[in-house]
Amino acid sequence: MYESCILNKGRKVTHVDIVILLTVLVGSLGLAVIFGRYIARMIVYEKRPLEKTLGRVENGFYKIIGVDRYEQMTWKQYFLALMITNIIAAGFLMTVLLYQNSLPLSPKPGLSLDLAFNTAASFVTNTNLQHYAGDQQLSIFSQMAGLIFMMFVATASGIAAAFAFIRGFIRKEFGLGNFYVDFTRIIITLLLPISFFSALLLLFLGSPQTLDSTITVGTLQGGSQTITIGPVAALESIKELGSNGGGFFGANSAHPFENPTGISNVFEIILMLVIPLSFPIAYAHLLGRGRGISILVTMLIGFGVMLALGLSEPSGPAGLETRFGSFGSTLFLESSVATNTGAANAALTGMSPNAVIGFFLGMFVQAIPGADGTGMMMMIVFVVLTLFLVGLMVGKTPEFMSMKINPKDVKLAAFVFLIHPALILIPSVLAYTTENAQAILGEQTTPATFTQVLYEYSSASANNGSDYLGTAANTSFWNWSTAWVMILGRYAPIGLMLAIAGSFTLRDRKEVVEPIKTSGFLFVGVLSVMVFVLTALTFFPFLAMGPFSM
Amino acid sequence: MRTLKSKVFSPAIRIVILMIVTTGIAYPLLVTTIGQTIMPYQSNGSQVVLNGKVVGSELIAQNFNSPKFFQPRNSTDSGSGVDPDITPASAISQIPTISNATGIPANALKTLVDLDIARNRETNALVLAPDYVNVLNINVELAKQYPEVYAQEVSVQGGT
Repeated sequence: MYESCILNKGRKVTHVDIVILLTVLVGSLGLAVIFGRYIARMIVYEKRPLEKTLGRVENGFYKIIGVDRYEQMTWKQYFLALMITNIIAAGFLMTVLLYQNSLPLSPKPGLSLDLAFNTAASFVTNTNLQHYAGDQQLSIFSQMAGLIFMMFVATASGIAAAFAFIRGFIRKEFGLGNFYVDFTRIIITLLLPISFFSALLLLFLGSPQTLDSTITVGTLQGGSQTITIGPVAALESIKELGSNGGGFFGANSAHPFENPTGISNVFEIILMLVIPLSFPIAYAHLLGRGRGISILVTMLIGFGVMLALGLSEPSGPAGLETRFGSFGSTLFLESSVATNTGAANAALTGMSPNAVIGFFLGMFVQAIPGADGTGMMMMIVFVVLTLFLVGLMVGKTPEFMSMKINPKDVKLAAFVFLIHPALILIPSVLAYTTENAQAILGEQTTPATFTQVLYEYSSASANNGSDYLGTAANTSFWNWSTAWVMILGRYAPIGLMLAIAGSFTLRDRKEVVEPIKTSGFLFVGVLSVMVFVLTALTFFPFLAMGPFSM
Repeated sequence: MRTLKSKVFSPAIRIVILMIVTTGIAYPLLVTTIGQTIMPYQSNGSQVVLNGKVVGSELIAQNFNSPKFFQPRNSTDSGSGVDPDITPASAISQIPTISNATGIPANALKTLVDLDIARNRETNALVLAPDYVNVLNINVELAKQYPEVYAQEVSVQGGT
């Protein structure tokens, strides 16, 4: 009732905004330098800090799992191990969600079959699209043993795939690695320690951590208030670190328990950015400093465009939280969508049309910087496509890392690129022709409602997870269709990209001058333009009907 | 088939079980134990105490139906629906109403608003958030400083 419009009025960049932006950039890039070096060592099995201790713990895990740490896998074996592990984990999560009523820790009614399938698909694919409200529909056990566990699995699977992919380019028959070994090492020596300390920091800043599901407190005027609570801090840290984005609460990171202060907001943004930005640094260590830095710069240019779009007009104050304001909400959301995390610290309906165009750009490209691991893979696919196109223009045989690029590689790379628009546009059309879009958004189709449909499938296909529809999309059609889009959007590109790596790893390398240099200003320029042109050509008509017309 | 079973399914099942125990159970329980031991205030939802009684969470908005209090945003106006804060401008615009209802001078209310803003700045390392006012905290401060004015509204009076 006393709603102010001050957040919006006379909006200009304040010194607070600049300090926040600098803190995020310096913090995430600084940490990326450290973790990039560490990840590079993980990829080529070099000695890490505390190697003896880490090695001993890992060996214990390998013994229980029953794998030989030196055994290498082909790309097919690696992909199969990843798929089987993901399917078993998803089966477990689905069972927990269906039968949470008979499981411990504040049981709630089991989810319907379509919603449980959607949620299991959503979390195993690192999407975290949520057609349910966690605070109302999930038990503490489901949040913990179901979702927190799955957040580690999905993140580690994406990073492991990127490890195998990068190994394919290192040197002839270096080997793609062993999925179980990578998966274990990534969880135990990368994700778990960072999540643990980040959870303690978030706790310190105000995120609760308890096994109780609600607290009832008196109010100042003598009434009483029931507040939903739970192990929020432990979920929140891996949610942001792992490009997951699935909130403990329906309101996600807008909820004060998930994101209590301005400091937690900045910290969560840094957590989302750190691993995606670490990958080009690792790449720089392994495959050439100039090449890695060129990829990093290209990613930052794309991210910069998203940010500039987001900041070009003010958002809110409706739908935004007071403690973040327009700048803190925009920076969080653009970072979240750019990294395909999909966490939200404000309602998307509160964001300006330009900010939403920025979100679409991030989800269409998926590599500026993209999710943990898969963002880097996607960017390398763009590099291969760029080399091919530039090679055609200048009449040179394209080479990547001193290896000839075959027509087959280009076909696979083009497939990876084309899956995405197909998975977005076909279901969007289906949703309208079957009247399922109209069923939840109203008979009258406007640019705003079309945007919401396009956004839903873009988010599902990019394994992003941010959305407008939320629990409104908890219908059979939307649950099944987005579930399959998420599954295909995750595993088809990973499979194709591993196939590319598998064929590159067998190839001869000639250490000669690159016909088309894959580093330096010129390459960054060409790559950035190519990424933009390919994306714009594919999606422009749909953007014109939706967000451009809002 | 045998090799597929022993080479793929068996390690996959074992690794899933191992990670359920490690990341889904041990990790959140360890954070809970540490949190409940050394940070019980935050772990349990940042509950504000007045005269020995809990009067809410400083992170979750609550309703105030008396014009003597600062009012939070309407729940549908924010991202979370439970935004505990309002902008300084919103707080200042409420001062005349509160002053009329309570008889507390406007400049005293303005001082309380400034103090709350300063406190929130400290919470945010001075520079990492825009200025805002926490509605529950400032209302608790009012009740503390003017117990006789709020005798009717606030049931948790000291010494009763």
